[in-house]
Amino acid sequence: MSGRLDGGAGKALSLWVLKRALRSFALLVGASFLIYATLRTAPGNMVDLILGINGTEASRAALRAEFGLDQGIVMGYLEWGMRALTGDLGRSVTFSPGDEVASVAAGAFLITLALSLASLLASVLLALALALALGKPQPKQDLLLTPLSFLNATPSFVFAVALTHAINAFIYMQLQGGGRIGPAWYPIPTYQAISDSLAPFSFAMISIALGDGLFMDLFNALRAELRAVGGAQYMNAVRAKGAPTRPHMVKNMVVPTLSIFTARLPLVLSAVVVVEYIFTLDGSGYLLLEAARVRDVPLVVGVSLFFITAVIVMNLLLDLVKAAVDPREVARVE
Amino acid sequence: MLSKRLVLGFLSASFSVQISAFVVLLVLVAGLLNPLITYDPVADVELSRRFLAPSFEHLLGTDGQGRSVAFRLFKAVEAFFFPGLIAGVIAVLFGSALGAMIGYLGGATGRLLAALLELIDTLPRMVFLVLVCTIYQPSIALIAAVSSVMFIPSVATLIRRRVEALGAEDYILAHIAHGFHPFKIISYHILWLQCRALMIRQLIFVFAYVLFIETALSYLGDYGVQEPFASWGNMVAQARSSVTLWPWLFPALAIITTIASLLTLGDAIAQREEEVKR
Repeated sequence: MSGRLDGGAGKALSLWVLKRALRSFALLVGASFLIYATLRTAPGNMVDLILGINGTEASRAALRAEFGLDQGIVMGYLEWGMRALTGDLGRSVTFSPGDEVASVAAGAFLITLALSLASLLASVLLALALALALGKPQPKQDLLLTPLSFLNATPSFVFAVALTHAINAFIYMQLQGGGRIGPAWYPIPTYQAISDSLAPFSFAMISIALGDGLFMDLFNALRAELRAVGGAQYMNAVRAKGAPTRPHMVKNMVVPTLSIFTARLPLVLSAVVVVEYIFTLDGSGYLLLEAARVRDVPLVVGVSLFFITAVIVMNLLLDLVKAAVDPREVARVE
Repeated sequence: MLSKRLVLGFLSASFSVQISAFVVLLVLVAGLLNPLITYDPVADVELSRRFLAPSFEHLLGTDGQGRSVAFRLFKAVEAFFFPGLIAGVIAVLFGSALGAMIGYLGGATGRLLAALLELIDTLPRMVFLVLVCTIYQPSIALIAAVSSVMFIPSVATLIRRRVEALGAEDYILAHIAHGFHPFKIISYHILWLQCRALMIRQLIFVFAYVLFIETALSYLGDYGVQEPFASWGNMVAQARSSVTLWPWLFPALAIITTIASLLTLGDAIAQREEEVKR
């Protein structure tokens, strides 16, 4: 699509939205096919792999039908994919036998989505604040930035372990000094539902936001964008007019920030898996690892599909937001 | 000539880069020495010396089973060293081949390949790794293979941009006009002469990622290196059961320092190449 939006601007926009949605759907098909192909190329008999030795004839037949194992890889995928599209992801085998995978996975996914979005948002805001506070790069800032660059190399699980230890030491000190610890603080590693307390949730959020190099990555990207926007021609015009620069800066930073936000989603959803496990937050990451531990293949596949769908749908939504904020985006994407 | 450039580059680098180079050299030496030194992790258990603080006898203290943390730190390099190197080489080779192909071909084929790479990039890496480990027999070779595949898109994108930018340069056009074979132009004039440092940097980054993923999976305990064998990840996991800092503090620091050094060195190499060119 060319950059011309005159005349049929509305038509061009709806066409763009349609194209973008189709692209997302194609990605979803490709990603799910990748998962299905991984499943089908596994060495040995799939059914034996999933059920082990204690499968009955009926359960074997059900599983063969569920994954379309009697057909070729393409037909099998189409059948499996169509059923997945209607929300039928099969039944869990060993983790919670007989339960619908879709309902087990969907229940857990809410926490994961909340956790990943919250930590990504926290990281972006923190990075933006630091970038704004520091302004132009100056040699003196190395004193602050060199230690911070170690965050680049701290895996979120190491961060989480260190954080847990620090919190436990703090609690120990409080107890020694006769202080009282609220129930929301104490048993960090054994925690049941999100309503119990926000403490583990926020610690997990901090670990993800600062670990895995996410924060420094965002900081560097946002800083580069800030400089690019600050040096743009229109900003010179704003300054020459004597108008306040901040509103213009903020407005022009929305789209780059959203782009940076979207690009980091897969990274954050990877970190969530490990960090949820450390803080025993029972979201999808925890579920994924627990299901993998007992080799519950249908459940692992279902949860992975949820993760991938989340990335693709979020990408689509944020692209639409970008287009709403800045119509030039429509022209920019081919 | 290469060694002279290395020495000169090292001397003119900043202090943090020099330290990083030293740390990376240390890991390199540890990784190469590792296969030569045998270690029986079971025979090393000595419960009478559990949780000792660092001393001359046990440089970094001992863990919950009385094993020397320093020696296990050294021995654990094995877990990621060769897998990381091999994964790095594979990711860089395939990634640059694909990237060069996309950049050179362009058009519909290029777009299709680019879409395929985007597909791999949308998968959250950890999720896909766990999935693959559930379906296949988990092993460090499998983990390294999947990590290298996961990194092909990022290498390809970088190389593709370089190829596209250089393809418009006059001297490359002159090579084309001279009738050089496109394969020679891409592999020698573009990839070897112009993208070497970039490729080395990506190799180092993939190595760092394999180190990260190996320690993370070993920390979780099901797929990576398992007790009694040592990995920096499962040494950090002792934080769950240990009464002192010593068993897990140094492995955690080792992970952070090594990754930091790898990233710093990779960036420094690429940056230096740019400066030399100018």
